[in-house]
Amino acid sequence: MKKKLIELQHVKKAFGDLVVLDDFNLYINENEFVTLLGPSGCGKTTCLRLIGGFETPDEGVIVFDGKAINDLEPNKREINTCFQRYALFPHLNVFENVAFGLRIRKVPKAELEERVTSTLKLVKLEDFATRTIGTLSGGQQQRVAIARAIVNRPKVLLLDEPLGALDLKLRQEMQYELKEMQRQLGITFIYVTHDQEEALTMSDTVVIMNEGKILQIGTPEDIYNEPNNRFVANFIGESNIFEGTMLDDYLVRFCGRDFKCVDRGFKRGEAVDVVIRPEDFDFVPPSKGKIVGVVDSLLFKGVHYEINVIVDHHEYTIHTTKYRAVGDKVGLMVEPSNIHVMRKQAPRA
Amino acid sequence: MHRLRRLGDPYVVWMATLILLPTVFLVLLSFSDLSFFRPGGFTLTLSQLRVFGSPIVRRSLSNSFLFASGVSVASFLIGYPVAYLLTTLRESTKRILMAILILPLWTNMLVRITAWERIFSQNSIFSDVFGFAIPILGTAGAVWIGLLAMYLPFMILPLFSVLDKMDKRLIEAAKDLGANDVQTFLRVVLPLSASGIVSGFIMTFLPSLTAFALPETLGWRNIPMIGMEIQKQFILKGFEADAINQGAVISLSIMAFSVLSFLLIAKVDKEGETLL
Repeated sequence: MKKKLIELQHVKKAFGDLVVLDDFNLYINENEFVTLLGPSGCGKTTCLRLIGGFETPDEGVIVFDGKAINDLEPNKREINTCFQRYALFPHLNVFENVAFGLRIRKVPKAELEERVTSTLKLVKLEDFATRTIGTLSGGQQQRVAIARAIVNRPKVLLLDEPLGALDLKLRQEMQYELKEMQRQLGITFIYVTHDQEEALTMSDTVVIMNEGKILQIGTPEDIYNEPNNRFVANFIGESNIFEGTMLDDYLVRFCGRDFKCVDRGFKRGEAVDVVIRPEDFDFVPPSKGKIVGVVDSLLFKGVHYEINVIVDHHEYTIHTTKYRAVGDKVGLMVEPSNIHVMRKQAPRA
Repeated sequence: MHRLRRLGDPYVVWMATLILLPTVFLVLLSFSDLSFFRPGGFTLTLSQLRVFGSPIVRRSLSNSFLFASGVSVASFLIGYPVAYLLTTLRESTKRILMAILILPLWTNMLVRITAWERIFSQNSIFSDVFGFAIPILGTAGAVWIGLLAMYLPFMILPLFSVLDKMDKRLIEAAKDLGANDVQTFLRVVLPLSASGIVSGFIMTFLPSLTAFALPETLGWRNIPMIGMEIQKQFILKGFEADAINQGAVISLSIMAFSVLSFLLIAKVDKEGETLL
């Protein structure tokens, strides 16, 4: 049984008239890599700042290790933050930036040097100890920021879009390194990003947020394969989303056709949203396809083609390695297990 | 860019005639017995340095350094919290308060000195309005208050400039790493405002060091200061032998001090962001 390390209970936070978080409930286990994922302005950074102690909730409780910490100053929390755009101290060199927290805690000199040096080694910056912050590249600064946080051996590390400023290649490398570090150090990571791919790659648990509310919590696989609603499906990867009707258990009707599916438990005739991932379609000869349409556009995406097929005025997006020319008549096939039926999103109050 | 260079010529002429040439004269006067009122030759001499042996010059110098140090330290102690508080305000409030701070600087200094002179008098519009008077004209207190009021903005402005530009997330970062308010201030805010502190000190210290109209008006002649002494050498004693030469020596020593100060600013504040 995993231990709950952080819990947010009925947390509300507003800035002026703008309610950023409302009745927000979330718990985070020890040693978990949790990602808060959502579009900008969804409240994820505010959530992180509440945990870090830089904001206090208007209502509700934040529990850390069994104790309410609403009014605990950030410097008294066993939590460190890797800030968005790093916030490194420009008047200190790399070594002193990393040593900052240890000097505050009056760690003995020998231990301090040993810990800073080994942490710099961990982030592969051992040769940069005497460099000033201004001479470092974005990726190096980012690693200093991580080193500065983890050298204190916090129970929790908060990371606020730490890879946002990096180019794709470096970002992917750092994703891997961060994940490795989290495994090695056994620290709970709470990670904020708006990049869904990053979230899926790194996390044990993904929390999808929008407009201050949690839409879905689950493993990356759950979130991708079983999105709760239209917003999650759209946000996590590209999706074909159709309006449909549940005719019976395991039978759904959309786009004017009946399909077998693996979902049950809906009311007979209930209106639903149907999600089919672009990579779950297969081309078949037009004579054998349940859906027949005409290729409308074709984009080369490297690993695959992105093909838009028009079927009875509905547009289907398909990712496939098979080439089809624009104007070709194609049949489409989809496995019942790849048809995912979701309840209609409750209309917003 | 080459074609535009010609446009700088008037500036070069200006600099040469109004800054370089007088400086050359100043050096020449300092180390010779040259006098405008004694036509003929002149001899180079170090004898003018004897002015520093004069008791009144010594007293003026020590007064000036005392008041300049006191005023800049007091400005710093008052100005730092003020500058810091200003940075925490809303943008609109900030602008209004900055305007209130800067506006008096657009009034001629002599007018402001005269205003203080009135305030410190027994009978003035001040005493009429408030029903009491602060008749301290001619005392050291009047000079202290006058200098502080005159130069405090020059401490606040560079401090505000560095503090306002400072990334507030650095304070959060320090707290996040366990620093309390005092540690955050000493280890992050203070070192990061070093350039503003140096600029502020120099911009309050130098003008108070060389002030002459203010101590003369508010302190009468009870508080002799070096600016007054220079003025005396050139204007009041101008016809006496070696008077302007000795005035030049004092001026030159103060000037050397200013140059050193600006070299110090240039060293700590490479972008010159704190200078106005």
